[in-house]
Amino acid sequence: MRLILALVLMLTGLPAMAQNGPVQTLLQTYADDIAKPSRRTIQPVLDDLAASGLPAMPSFLEAWADKGIVQRDEDGLFFYGTREGDIYVLRSVEDGSDAGEVGRREASELKPNAGVRRLIGTALVQFQLNDPDPARRRAALESLSRSPSADLLEPLRASIEGEEDPALRARKVALDRLITVRFGTDLDTRLAAIDWMSDQVSLEARAALNGLLTTDRIVGAPDADANVARVLTVGDDITEADALALLADEDILPPEVTRADRDAALIAALDNGEVAGTPVHTLNTEAARWTAYEELAAAGQVPARPPEDAVATLLAENPISEVYDEPDPTITAAAEAALAEVTSRVARAQAADLGLDALSLASIYFLAAIGLAITFGVMGVINMAHGEFIMLGAYTGYVVQQVVPDYTVSLIIALPLAFVVAAAAGVALERLVIRHLAHRPLETLLATFGISVAVQQIVKNVFGTQAVPLTSPDWLAGAWVVNDVIGISYIRIGIFVLALIFLGVLVYILRRTRLGLEVRAVTQNPGMAASLGIDPDRVGMATFALGSGIAGVAGVAIGLFAQVTSEMGAGYIVQSFMTVVVGGVGSVFGTLAGAGLIGGLQKGIEWLNPSNTLAAQTYMILFIILFIQVRPRGIVAQKGRHAQ
Amino acid sequence: MSALLEVSGVSKTFDGFKAINNLSFSVNEPELRAIIGPNGAGKTTFMDLVTGKTRPDSGEIRYGELSRDLTKLSEARIAQAGIGRKFQKPTVFEDQTVSENLTMALKATRNPVTVLTKRPDESDRVADLAARVGLSDTLEQRAGILSHGQKQWLEIGMLLAQEPRLLLVDEPAAGMTSAERERTTAMLVEAAKTRAVVVIEHDMEFVRRLNCRVTVLHEGSVLAEGSLDHVCADPRVIDVYLGRPEEAADA
Amino acid sequence: MLIRKPSVLVFLASLALITIVATVLAQAGLVSTSFVKLLGKTLCLCIAALAMDLVWGYTGILSLGHFAFFGMGGYAIGMWLMWDRTETIVTGTLAQSPLPPTPLEIEEAIGTQIFGVVGSSDVPWLWAFAGSLPLQLAFAVLVPGLIALVFGWLAFRSRVTGVYLSILTQAGTLALSLWLFQNDSGLRGNNGLSGLQNIPGLESVSQAVLSLWFLWASAAALAGAYLLAQWTVSGRFGSVLRGIRDDEARVRFLGYEVEHYKLAVFTVTAMLCGLAGALYYPQAGIVNPAEIAPIASIYLAVWVAIGGRGRLYGAVIGAAVVSLASSWFTGGGAPDINLGFYVIKWTDWWLVLLGLSFVLVTLYAPKGLGGLVDLWTGRRSRNVGPMGPDVGALRSKEEQA
Repeated sequence: MRLILALVLMLTGLPAMAQNGPVQTLLQTYADDIAKPSRRTIQPVLDDLAASGLPAMPSFLEAWADKGIVQRDEDGLFFYGTREGDIYVLRSVEDGSDAGEVGRREASELKPNAGVRRLIGTALVQFQLNDPDPARRRAALESLSRSPSADLLEPLRASIEGEEDPALRARKVALDRLITVRFGTDLDTRLAAIDWMSDQVSLEARAALNGLLTTDRIVGAPDADANVARVLTVGDDITEADALALLADEDILPPEVTRADRDAALIAALDNGEVAGTPVHTLNTEAARWTAYEELAAAGQVPARPPEDAVATLLAENPISEVYDEPDPTITAAAEAALAEVTSRVARAQAADLGLDALSLASIYFLAAIGLAITFGVMGVINMAHGEFIMLGAYTGYVVQQVVPDYTVSLIIALPLAFVVAAAAGVALERLVIRHLAHRPLETLLATFGISVAVQQIVKNVFGTQAVPLTSPDWLAGAWVVNDVIGISYIRIGIFVLALIFLGVLVYILRRTRLGLEVRAVTQNPGMAASLGIDPDRVGMATFALGSGIAGVAGVAIGLFAQVTSEMGAGYIVQSFMTVVVGGVGSVFGTLAGAGLIGGLQKGIEWLNPSNTLAAQTYMILFIILFIQVRPRGIVAQKGRHAQ
Repeated sequence: MSALLEVSGVSKTFDGFKAINNLSFSVNEPELRAIIGPNGAGKTTFMDLVTGKTRPDSGEIRYGELSRDLTKLSEARIAQAGIGRKFQKPTVFEDQTVSENLTMALKATRNPVTVLTKRPDESDRVADLAARVGLSDTLEQRAGILSHGQKQWLEIGMLLAQEPRLLLVDEPAAGMTSAERERTTAMLVEAAKTRAVVVIEHDMEFVRRLNCRVTVLHEGSVLAEGSLDHVCADPRVIDVYLGRPEEAADA
Repeated sequence: MLIRKPSVLVFLASLALITIVATVLAQAGLVSTSFVKLLGKTLCLCIAALAMDLVWGYTGILSLGHFAFFGMGGYAIGMWLMWDRTETIVTGTLAQSPLPPTPLEIEEAIGTQIFGVVGSSDVPWLWAFAGSLPLQLAFAVLVPGLIALVFGWLAFRSRVTGVYLSILTQAGTLALSLWLFQNDSGLRGNNGLSGLQNIPGLESVSQAVLSLWFLWASAAALAGAYLLAQWTVSGRFGSVLRGIRDDEARVRFLGYEVEHYKLAVFTVTAMLCGLAGALYYPQAGIVNPAEIAPIASIYLAVWVAIGGRGRLYGAVIGAAVVSLASSWFTGGGAPDINLGFYVIKWTDWWLVLLGLSFVLVTLYAPKGLGGLVDLWTGRRSRNVGPMGPDVGALRSKEEQA
């Protein structure tokens, strides 16, 4: 019996003992304030709680703001409480350990109001900003930047001094400036923060500066102490319709009568087939309807339209100006100047980013086109199935990934394998079709088109019409970010490197090897080359293998960032031809120049007209058609049998 | 006799190679003229310049009473102005009949609309031309199945059909049998009675048979001019072209 | 004189026979309206193939853009069809209002109705004359003609030939189709124009009867186009065209302005394609940018090649056989082949068959199906040699070498 008593004592007493830790003790000091907090009285309590520096305090504050704390009626102790049906499951505020349970009616949930919650949040941020875990500090900064407020400025500033992580410290400094600009009370610190921002390119800095420069439109002379941004000229800065609407808002003018208002009024006034004495069947023009409306207005039945002759005078008498919401002209002037500087800095950064984009696009075009350039240069045939080699390369990559699950390993296998697969396909095409159509370039074009249709459909039948995934390894997945504006994904950098490698390899092969010598000989004078004992068929086959193989590798690279479908090759074929034709047939550097021109041009046009990439392609093709008028042989004109 | 074609100070450079170098030269009407010279002397380039296939870097080529500058005209306009050209290799339209080839060449308007809508019966003129070049029996045959010599004649027939005032003929005797050569000579001499004919030829025997004034080109300009005997005696010509007796085989 | 040529006689007689038989069968209810439409559409495609044969088979310009002109004709007539029909509908709706509609209201209602699908209600300037049938009919022919004229002038003037020209035409076509795909092109983006089978003013005529009318109109147009093409390729003009195909430089030295001839053929065939398109799309019911994509023009070349280029009936046979076969195979008409381990579904494998047979035709039967006619009549064609149109290109290359 005593044993049972002892057990009961232990069961009820142990948790009770565990409650008397430092947190609970501190809480109990302010038990009433915490149980029924008010915005006016809670601040000293929070300060004290924060000053305690207890490691368990932040999670208590978090739970408190989140309505996750209950007070047991029986002894007034605080617990983390989760409601489950008719009971609260309790956990200790010291360490989160189990603290038994209590009936729904035997404890009360703490429900701080919104104002108090905000104060708790501020106190919490103080903790989080100084949390030993950098991840939590970063998270706190994130939430701070999402919902900045003046209250958080002090804790933020206080935490800068002790910050050891340089990245986080920089972030804290930046946030401090951003919040100062918006909520700062002291003119000098705000100006200093604005000045600091003029060196930035971040979106946040721009948003903060723009936030300082919001304006309101005022009709008539602004107040003497108003911070006027500018006086608007009707027609240039503001449309007449908008200006009239503003005047109407101020009751200077009667509001504009819309056509719908007018028609409603006319219908309302319709009486016995007539409107104000006008037969309704004559109201079949806009002019007739306005006349009828004005008659109604003259009779006082409807509101009059703004008098046309008075409009100009009224607009002149009531100038419309934009007034800054920020009253201090020193601040707005500084912000304007800083924004101008930031804008030009951002423009420069955008230009650099555009350059990177163009470079990346150019390397894609180069990879896609270089194989074509080689075969076109040596054999004078256009291979419409070239795009399908790109596609075969990408599907090779996909198949390898199905077999080898490790993305890095499969990529290492896929690149050479794609070369082999596409090269084999190229050799087959050369031997079975193209060789038999020697000297008939137009027929070759069409026959290879037939191959392209068949191959596309076969791949579609085998792999389905849906795009298949070709996933890049993790180390290629991210992006190299310089600042908010300049950034480029690692895949694109990889493609750039790949393009450079192929450029180097091709230049080496063409300039330094026997095959290159023969290729150049056949390109420049096939008859002479043949009489010197060079077998043009063998050279043709080797070039086709090389050109197609490169297309296969390009396919893997393209597949890593674009969709892998049976039609992906078709999308590159025209661009590739344009690259070859613009660059100059049969020249590696010509293709490079062509790819650079086309990539740069496309990005440039997209930049001028960012909403519409389709239009960009249209304009680019039109430009190329005109370019060929000026330089029919391309940028790097080569003399040879196909250069005419 | 006045100059029909006046070439003055014409130069043309291909990638640093001076194919024609300050060439000046004139042809009268009627006249038969032979142009000889070693390989690379600029004979064919000269024809390309006159017919508008190639544009000179400098100089001018005046033609006819109005002294029109040929360097400003398109190939087709030059041909319409009365300059006909026969290529080294016979170039006839192999997929078309002899009669179609000749009809196309007949002197008539070249305007597409007129060609499409006005279709006069030209069979008499075609038959007459065919008779002159000895192709009367093959009028309805495809040109592609003619012998090499017949193709050359068809091409000459096409040139005659154009009724040009200036006829440029590039190596007409190449690859012909001796009977065919004789016939070709007769055709050219006959044609030269009423018009200017310029013949480029390597075969000295053939040139001798033409019995006309000869211009020797060397490195893009005129080296010597006169009767065949006269130029053959010129030591410079012997040096660069005919060769000393022991080198004669190279000529 | 033309009509006495045996091939022309046979062609016109067969065309008349097919049209009459189809009409009789349709009246008797033995063939469906959709089949009559298919036949009518095929005849229009034959007109486009004729044009392609003129420009490629005879003149040697491998244009990979002629189907775009076909589509333009469809767009031009489609604009009127849509506008007029929509006008009828919105006038009916607006008549419900107590006030008689004003012209502005009607235009706004039409704009909302037609362009609502691309999120706009403004009527683009392209549609300024959409209410006029004669003008839109004229545009169906003149717009392709004008575009071909400008493009051809630029290309031929700078002596772009061979594969370069082909690629250039393909690029131009791609540019046009990409432009049409945009929503703000003013032509309803990728929605295209639809409901074209409803002819304004002929609402009371059933589609069955209408399809026969269009069949006859298409047959008449094909007959006219055939005679026009035959007239063009006969005589000295035809000789010059084939001369240009085989040896452009030589024709120039004969005093013909090759560029003028090419430009004339390019432009006139573009107009012919526009006309064919204007007849085709009211039967198809819808025209959209996909129709204009470069691949359609390549197929046009494929039809001509399979039929046998350089002869007019070859082009017609090619277009008819391939497009009818294509409908049959892709429409599920052909029976599947069960290989035991794999079932060949023709809807999946037809394109493979087409692509490969096209390669085989190019390799082993450059004269195409038209070559069968030679076998049958025992004649050798004198127009198309085994080397085809590239003889001249080859020769001029040798000359340069």
